[in-house]
Amino acid sequence: MRLTVDGREIEIDPDPEMPLLWALRDLAGITGPKFGCGIAACGACTVLVDGVPVRSCSLPVGGVEGDIVTIEGLADGDTLSAVQQAWLDEQVAQCGYCQAGQIMSATALLDEVSDPTDEDIDNAMGGNLCRCGTYPRIRAAIKRAAAMKLARA
Amino acid sequence: MRPLATLLTAFAIAASSSALAQETPAPDQPPVPAVDRAAGLSEWEKINAVFSHPRCANCHVEDDHPRWSGTHYGETRNHAFNVQRGTDESGFGNPGLRCTTCHFESNSNVLHGPPGAESWHLAPAEMVWFGKSSAEICAQIKDPERNGGRTLEEIAVHVRDDGLVGWGWAPGPGREPAPGSAVETFAALERWNAAGAPCPDG
Amino acid sequence: MASIGKIARRTFLIGAAAIAGGVAVGYWYVSRPYDNPLEDDLAEGEATFNPFVKIASDNIVTVIAPRAEMGQGISTTLAAFVAEELGVPLEELTVEHGPTSFAYYNGTMMEESGPFPWFDDSLLASIARDAFSTVGKVLGLQATGGSASTRDGFERMRQAGAAARHMLLAAAADRFDVPAGQLETVGRTVVHKASGKSATFGELAVDAAKMSPPSSVKLKDKADWTLLGKPQKRVDMLAKVTGAPIFGVDVMLPDMLFGTVKMNPVFWQKPASVDLSKAEAVKGVVKIVPLDTTYGHGFGVIAENTWAAFRAADLIEADWGKPDFPADGAAVNEALNAALATDGSRLRDDGDVDVAFADAPADSVLEAEYAVPFLAHICMEPMNATARFKDGKLELWAPNQMPTLVEYLSGAAIGLESANVTAHTTSLGGGFGRREADTTIYAAIMAKEVEGRPVKVIWSREEDVRHDSYRPAAKGRFRARLNQDGLPAALDMRIAAPSVVASVMRRTFPSLSPAGPDGTITQGSHDQPYTIADYRVSGAKADLGVPVGFWRSVGNSFNGFFHEGFMDEIATKGGLDPVEMRRKLMAAHPAAVKVVDKVAEMANWGEPLPAGRGKGFAFTLSFGSWVGEIVQVAETDAGIRVEKVWIAADVGTAIDPGIIEAQLTSGAIFGLSAAMGQEITFANGMVEQSNFHDFDAMRIHQCPEFEVAILENYHRMGGVGEIGTPPAAPALANAIFALTGKRIRALPLSREVSFA
Repeated sequence: MRLTVDGREIEIDPDPEMPLLWALRDLAGITGPKFGCGIAACGACTVLVDGVPVRSCSLPVGGVEGDIVTIEGLADGDTLSAVQQAWLDEQVAQCGYCQAGQIMSATALLDEVSDPTDEDIDNAMGGNLCRCGTYPRIRAAIKRAAAMKLARA
Repeated sequence: MRPLATLLTAFAIAASSSALAQETPAPDQPPVPAVDRAAGLSEWEKINAVFSHPRCANCHVEDDHPRWSGTHYGETRNHAFNVQRGTDESGFGNPGLRCTTCHFESNSNVLHGPPGAESWHLAPAEMVWFGKSSAEICAQIKDPERNGGRTLEEIAVHVRDDGLVGWGWAPGPGREPAPGSAVETFAALERWNAAGAPCPDG
Repeated sequence: MASIGKIARRTFLIGAAAIAGGVAVGYWYVSRPYDNPLEDDLAEGEATFNPFVKIASDNIVTVIAPRAEMGQGISTTLAAFVAEELGVPLEELTVEHGPTSFAYYNGTMMEESGPFPWFDDSLLASIARDAFSTVGKVLGLQATGGSASTRDGFERMRQAGAAARHMLLAAAADRFDVPAGQLETVGRTVVHKASGKSATFGELAVDAAKMSPPSSVKLKDKADWTLLGKPQKRVDMLAKVTGAPIFGVDVMLPDMLFGTVKMNPVFWQKPASVDLSKAEAVKGVVKIVPLDTTYGHGFGVIAENTWAAFRAADLIEADWGKPDFPADGAAVNEALNAALATDGSRLRDDGDVDVAFADAPADSVLEAEYAVPFLAHICMEPMNATARFKDGKLELWAPNQMPTLVEYLSGAAIGLESANVTAHTTSLGGGFGRREADTTIYAAIMAKEVEGRPVKVIWSREEDVRHDSYRPAAKGRFRARLNQDGLPAALDMRIAAPSVVASVMRRTFPSLSPAGPDGTITQGSHDQPYTIADYRVSGAKADLGVPVGFWRSVGNSFNGFFHEGFMDEIATKGGLDPVEMRRKLMAAHPAAVKVVDKVAEMANWGEPLPAGRGKGFAFTLSFGSWVGEIVQVAETDAGIRVEKVWIAADVGTAIDPGIIEAQLTSGAIFGLSAAMGQEITFANGMVEQSNFHDFDAMRIHQCPEFEVAILENYHRMGGVGEIGTPPAAPALANAIFALTGKRIRALPLSREVSFA
């Protein structure tokens, strides 16, 4: 089957029941989305499908239609997305393993809510577990990214 | 509001109104409200056993939190991850964390994986079953103000035909299904209606 | 404090075990310096100056930061040590973990293995520290733990940078024929201003490496630091915001197979019978192999992709056998009670506690029983390792915290000497003390079954939760006798827990039987800077059979709760303010008092709170750092909300305040997560929890605000990575007491209260 991932067409031959995550990682070698739980309980595998955040560890690849965007496709060449740049500026990551998912959820949030409140952030990000406890910096980075996007717009 | 949210809201409203039911042909014989209270209540008990079952009631809540319950989930509790009805009241969650971020068209076949069905979302708050008595649920079902403007016949058809409702009897691995089946519950609703749709004393 | 006589009568478990392990590894020369492992693998025109620095002809300067980067920022801090003395901006350096080598031994990690509290500056304590540090060197134990990496690297890595600079300048002085004293550096270039001559480090590298290293180097005074003491941009941040393949699970090799493991849910047992037919029928399964190891028994599934391996593992049907250890909560509790009935080892025994309680009036005595459950680590990156067995050699890629031991143990599992094993340490998606050798042992056995092809073995989260090296369950019985003034005259703490060291030995070097006390059982209770006339802390080993290991802050993780929860009770009974009581009891330790004062000031301690709010205080000295935390909670409709946490920590010397702040916050959240809701329970000898739906951690909407102060009063540098954890649980429990009047003595707190 063909998938459009990060603007590229890829051709893979998975069992349609295989979760999108493993199709991306094992078959297409796209390792940006991470495996954390396999039951959509931690958010590390989050990717966007047509702009909607989904937990790729639980989504059968056979039913996937639309453009997939992973953490690897956010930057425009060497220019980081506003969310990535804010993450860098706020020095958010510790171990970094969950951050691909955090950044994808934050990206989805900011696509719909340009200037999120603390409550908006809580409501959007509760599905993304961070074991290092980077939450205070994640919150700061989302606000910074919002300001950056508004300034760029 | 962004287009996506608008679309979801519109869909929620459509799904919870009689719009979908209008395509269903009317029954040959409109039910004659007979009054057989004992027989009616007996049917209602079957219906209530479904509506108050966690597979159904966990997403028919008054507040903003769907519930989790069952083996390995501890006592009945709020759905983890701060999952909520949605600040737009749509029942489809919040920007960045929609119900459909995790709940897809079909059940995950992994134990504890997310269940799925078409258009996964929370019932409107007025259709509350969670924590309500049999009498309260019965009153709600009969109240067009709180049942999506449906006739009882339309409710029976909705229960029989709706994909998300039907999920309650096929909830995926590790979850106890609602009792009976969609067809049986449809039949019970028909018989209850025929018996005058009596509600138990609250 | 322990007297010389008492010490002489004891053996010390960690020392004894480690020395024995060292013999097994086969390295025993104390004085012999290890070879520079970088010499084996230099590119054309590349030169190395010491095990920490190499420079290529294209002017790429590589710093080896040989500690596991698990989020604690160690790669940045170690590189900054080199950068400071080499005189090169941090962002111009390439930082790598580097090869596995005894040259990268961690001496500091073992330094505090003796029975001396951190604040004991006696000659005896110093001698013991040197001795244990030597053990680390002798073993060549390349390991990341004990919050020791920064302290361990502080001298060595600055010297490495200074020595390389000295040699580069010497080479330039020869080439330009000028005195070295007239040379300076701009970035990675040596410049002679007067003549305008210059040469890059890369151009000088080969000549410079031939220079003799200076016999001694003068390191910069703290006042002259330009990088150290200031927050740096982390060297790993860009990779982590772009999804770069840096973790163990991201390893991709040509012709690679994928796999997972299904280990016996009943620890240590061999399955009585097994049916693999359904599993083997899964499309994509290549081979299912038995795993019989010191870590346990089970099966490795090798497949064409991870998902097929997961599905097949789920379909393995077996009679897993019966546990030979306490099989459920009641049995665990019974075993802990039995241990509490024994005397245990007294790592603190001041005055005479028995006499003090013999004539104590009943109303002056306070007694309490505390308990904590087993805990899993749940690193975000599930356990994994990649292995390739080819031509009699084993190559491993794994997130791990002890690569020299990983090479030894994984090789031994398939009959190879360490010399034929190469371990590559990837970035770790969290470590917290979990990353042992089980992952690589299993992967090695599986790789041998498909000789020539690499296998990437990723555990499911369920396997990860059910086959951890758990934080021990523990129980304590405490009593205090109070003076008229409310202060404790006597304190007697008896604690029972499984021995972490004995458990680690069982699965790594099972033929060695460790003897002597395990200080981790009372660590955080026996070594605190309180002065109480009659003060006894005894620890009893309770063998519960469940594998236990190093969980962020180890014994401090429960002793902090025990000691500081009970201290709060003492203050309440004595009618004293908990903070004021600490000031009095810690008066002999100015660093401690300054921490208490600072955090109390930050939190406006003592100021009346509005109704529905409460604050709690706790203090723990761990890993050489003095930490006070105050937690504020609020009653809300949804339950108790943790609103704010104030932390003051004296780390002696603060190398990177940005990273330290992150680590303190991180450690506190780790402790709060556990205190609020985590527990691992057993039924029929099997772990009942399996994934984040029943073993979760704090989420962003539960996360409090943080305010952190970093102090530098004490004269020795302390650790950072674990120190935020121990005071978090007791500060929260004490805050809940202040809010509700309910004294909760068993974790998790969610058994008694609900959280928003």
